Amino acid sequence: MSSELAAFRATLAQAIGEDHVLAAVESTAPYAVDGVCPALVLRPGTQDEVAQVVTACAAARVALVPWGGGTSMTAGNPPKRLDAVLSLERLDRVVEFDADNLCITVEAGLTLARLQALVAAKQEILPLDPPASDRVTLGGLVAANLSGPSRLLHGTARDWVLGLRVVLPSGEQIRCGGRVIKNVTGYDMNKLFIRSFGTLGVITEVTLKLLPMPETRASVLGLFPTLAAAKAVLEAVQASFLLPEAMDLLDPAAAGLLLPALGLASPTGHLLATAFSGSQATVDRQVRDLEALVAEQGGRGLTLREAASTQAWQAITNVLGSVPPASLRVLIQVSVPIGRTAGMLASVSARAAEQGLSAAVTCHAASGLLRAALLPAPELPADAALEALAAATLALRDEAVALGGSLTVQAGVPAFKARVDAWGTPGSGFATMRRIKDAFDPHGLCSPGRFLGGI
Amino acid sequence: MAQQAFVQSLRQIVGDANVLDSDVHLQLYQYDAYLEERRPDAVVFVHSTEEVARVVKVCHDYGVPFVPRGGGTNLSGGTIPFKGGVVLEMIRMNRLLEVDKANLRARVQPGMFNLELGNALAPLGYQYLPDPASQKAATLGGNVAENSGGPHCFKYGVTTNHVTGLTVVLSDGAVVTLGGEAPDEPGYDLTGVFVGSEGTFGVCTEVVVRIVRQAEGVKTMLAIYDSIEKGSETVSAIVAAGMVPATLEMMDQLVIQAVEKSLSCGLPLDCATVLIIEVDGLKDDLEAQTEAIERLCLAHGAREVRVAKNDAERALLWAGRRGAFGAVARLTPSYLVCDGTVPRTALPEVLRKVAEVGEKYDLRIPNVFHAGDGNLHPLILFDWRDAEQKERVMKAGMEILALCVQLGGTISGEHGVGLEKMDAMRLVLSEADIRCQLKLKQAFDPSDLANPGKIFPAPLEVAHVQ
Ligand SMILES: Cc1cc2nc3c(=O)[nH]c(=O)nc-3n(C[C@H](O)[C@H](O)[C@H](O)COP(=O)(O)OP(=O)(O)OC[C@H]3O[C@@H](n4cnc5c(N)ncnc54)[C@H](O)[C@@H]3O)c2cc1C
Ligand SMILES: Cc1cc2nc3c(=O)[nH]c(=O)nc-3n(C[C@H](O)[C@H](O)[C@H](O)COP(=O)(O)OP(=O)(O)OC[C@H]3O[C@@H](n4cnc5c(N)ncnc54)[C@H](O)[C@@H]3O)c2cc1C
Repeated sequence: MSSELAAFRATLAQAIGEDHVLAAVESTAPYAVDGVCPALVLRPGTQDEVAQVVTACAAARVALVPWGGGTSMTAGNPPKRLDAVLSLERLDRVVEFDADNLCITVEAGLTLARLQALVAAKQEILPLDPPASDRVTLGGLVAANLSGPSRLLHGTARDWVLGLRVVLPSGEQIRCGGRVIKNVTGYDMNKLFIRSFGTLGVITEVTLKLLPMPETRASVLGLFPTLAAAKAVLEAVQASFLLPEAMDLLDPAAAGLLLPALGLASPTGHLLATAFSGSQATVDRQVRDLEALVAEQGGRGLTLREAASTQAWQAITNVLGSVPPASLRVLIQVSVPIGRTAGMLASVSARAAEQGLSAAVTCHAASGLLRAALLPAPELPADAALEALAAATLALRDEAVALGGSLTVQAGVPAFKARVDAWGTPGSGFATMRRIKDAFDPHGLCSPGRFLGGI
Repeated sequence: MAQQAFVQSLRQIVGDANVLDSDVHLQLYQYDAYLEERRPDAVVFVHSTEEVARVVKVCHDYGVPFVPRGGGTNLSGGTIPFKGGVVLEMIRMNRLLEVDKANLRARVQPGMFNLELGNALAPLGYQYLPDPASQKAATLGGNVAENSGGPHCFKYGVTTNHVTGLTVVLSDGAVVTLGGEAPDEPGYDLTGVFVGSEGTFGVCTEVVVRIVRQAEGVKTMLAIYDSIEKGSETVSAIVAAGMVPATLEMMDQLVIQAVEKSLSCGLPLDCATVLIIEVDGLKDDLEAQTEAIERLCLAHGAREVRVAKNDAERALLWAGRRGAFGAVARLTPSYLVCDGTVPRTALPEVLRKVAEVGEKYDLRIPNVFHAGDGNLHPLILFDWRDAEQKERVMKAGMEILALCVQLGGTISGEHGVGLEKMDAMRLVLSEADIRCQLKLKQAFDPSDLANPGKIFPAPLEVAHVQ
């Protein structure tokens, strides 16, 4: 260890305590990002300590990556530099829960599951449901703009975040927004940090708007022999007055991974899962309408209520996590205009098949967002497998871009990422983004190289 | 002369008829719905993104500031050309370019009025949700720049929640597209930060908005109270009961009397306050929801609850609410619209204290506002010809904003900072917060030509010297 590094470590140890400056390889290895292992893992215990750590890193020109639950660390490009990981795990306190005003402020390292349990005790919910809610932190959720099935009715983090506290790359602490539901006091700075992937600073506190818990929940699952039949139901719902909370469509491969858990025996098919929440009267009516639509299109229907419905959605949300792990597995996310979603689902399967890959595809069918796991045949040599994965991914990206959308890589080995940029080619707004990044992080110390266009 | 050459370049782009620089014309563009005035050097009518880009490029080359102007209905001096220069009149860019039902999006030019968009979508069975009370005269571009709210924003969110893409001309004349029809574009959310940037990041020349199906059913009711306190308590009670009405609007006695004088909507003249409550959605539980709310209102001291029996009755209630600002204008030569926000449960307290401010400064302050959002609009009545009175009004306004901040709220819920609230920014923001916002401004507009001199208070050092 160089003497400079030793001095830097001493400063940090003084700020946050020796125990929270990890340097041993066995402690830092689990925090490797795309194969790059940090020299240090830092675990500040308060927001002020985060500011001290970032200030010290800035002074020493140490490149850092914030780390929440670690569930998204496979997304993005490999870091250009990574000296230290700043873990938010100890920032897991509730700052203020104002149940009467449907508002909660928490530290960034609190997990979504713990927040949900807390607010549920007051009959409230935060209607964001990304996968792995037991590990996802609020900071990570905001930084990665994660969403789940219920974005159909409730939107994404950008619709629920009222305020943030952020430690800028300089170490300076700032506040964005506040705790009221309408706020135009200057620019909407929350939006800048939502989905900034740790490149503009460290989010240390999040204030969120909440909703009253709905009276009841139910889901109708329909298994269809063809995509066309599932799509017909989807379109009928979109043209109706119904207000589903979520509509997810799974291709037969993804559906096959779920069916045993749902008690639906094979043969498999396309699975369209629709969730409703609200008053008993509206949920009952919507369930009836949907059951009729499913039957009309020759689907096999299954209606689930309350806990059974919630469980099914957990399985649906996490389905790609159950894709048999293979060392070269690639996870992609594709975004297209809403009406193109089901068509894109078919494209993903087709492009994968062309390259001899197997694929499991799921989508938020009425929101324009798809996720897929692509797997090469096990017997394929690594080079050929990577070529096939890259060819399919790039072909799909072209297709998505032609529709006005995008494709991002959520997970893939470094050799894959060397072939496929995780974000794609930046658009005309990029020069402004670059100026923003340079203004906030002039020395390029916050998650350098992981984001769009090398930001 | 540089000025002549500059104006000549503008004429070459848009034609003689589309550049105004006579005294009479410039005078018409020196004010908006706020109280300050400043004359521009020229007014340019623009018709396309390309024209805007060329005009802005010329401004950039000559170092001349420019200010986009939509309906001019903003209440914070947003369209006042504070540093002179060009007013870009957007109103001719008023076409609905596309309604894309399959993708639930519409593509709109920024000069289109909010209500016109609504009227175009309604026959197709769709709607654009944000509905500022000024929707008849406010443009989509202005809505975007102010991140406007409206009566239906309690349930459905404000402009930013419904804008997914923008075409923007930056201050060097570059045309950029941000976001679009597909969700979650990679990169920073520049659409999100542009919304609410008050014309200081550039000129928006196209907007992609989310459209949704019209609701299957809607019920509107009027709850009548003899006490403001009781009315505002009911607002929190409804939310606490787990209900999310589409609107929760409030008007007090002075406003009601003014509305009745000009519009005759059948509101009771002798009550202290009314709540306009609307529920919408699937028709299956609207009746039950309406009854539950009615019971709640009565339990919290309403003397009467009326449910609109048909579309005509409903329209009348809304005409009253939307016409409220206009009606109050009949009471007085001018008024200052305050726009503070507080957590909903603080409404009774803040309303009491606003009344105290009125007494202290000897001013009449009627209230009409978005109660569900905790977004107050005390209207401080005065006569602009009376300088002494105007000074009291400004003091009272600032005191009301400070009150909102003390109660956990902020200084603007939807009308923006503009020229009006630059000095109030420090009630909420630290110097670091302000520096951080300025960085964003510089990244969008390095040459500081887009609506300069707005939003940010003078640097502290300078303020100390004074
Ligand atoms: C099998 C599987 C399936 C998935 N499916 C979906 C899906 O369907 N939908 C979906 O949206 N996501 C999906 N994900 C992604 C996953 O839900 C998210 O990765 C996770 O929620 C991120 O939260 P986190 O706390 O783990 O963040 P991390 O992974 O720790 O961090 C995410 C990013 O934010 C930055 N960051 C973290 N905390 C902070 C902070 N406090 N301040 C500043 N920057 C910070 C990090 O540097 C990183 O760039 C899936 C993941 C897996 C493993
Ligand atoms: C009677 C009345 C009722 C009102 N009710 C509400 C209400 O319920 N909710 C609410 O939120 N507001 C309300 N307002 C305020 C006002 O109507 C809104 O702020 C509205 O969105 C302004 O639109 P406009 O077209 O008039 O914009 P303008 O006043 O012309 O401009 C407002 C700002 O937007 C900028 N701008 C305009 N067009 C563009 C563009 N194309 N690109 C970039 N910047 C642009 C301007 O430079 C300026 O800074 C009300 C005002 C009045 C007078």
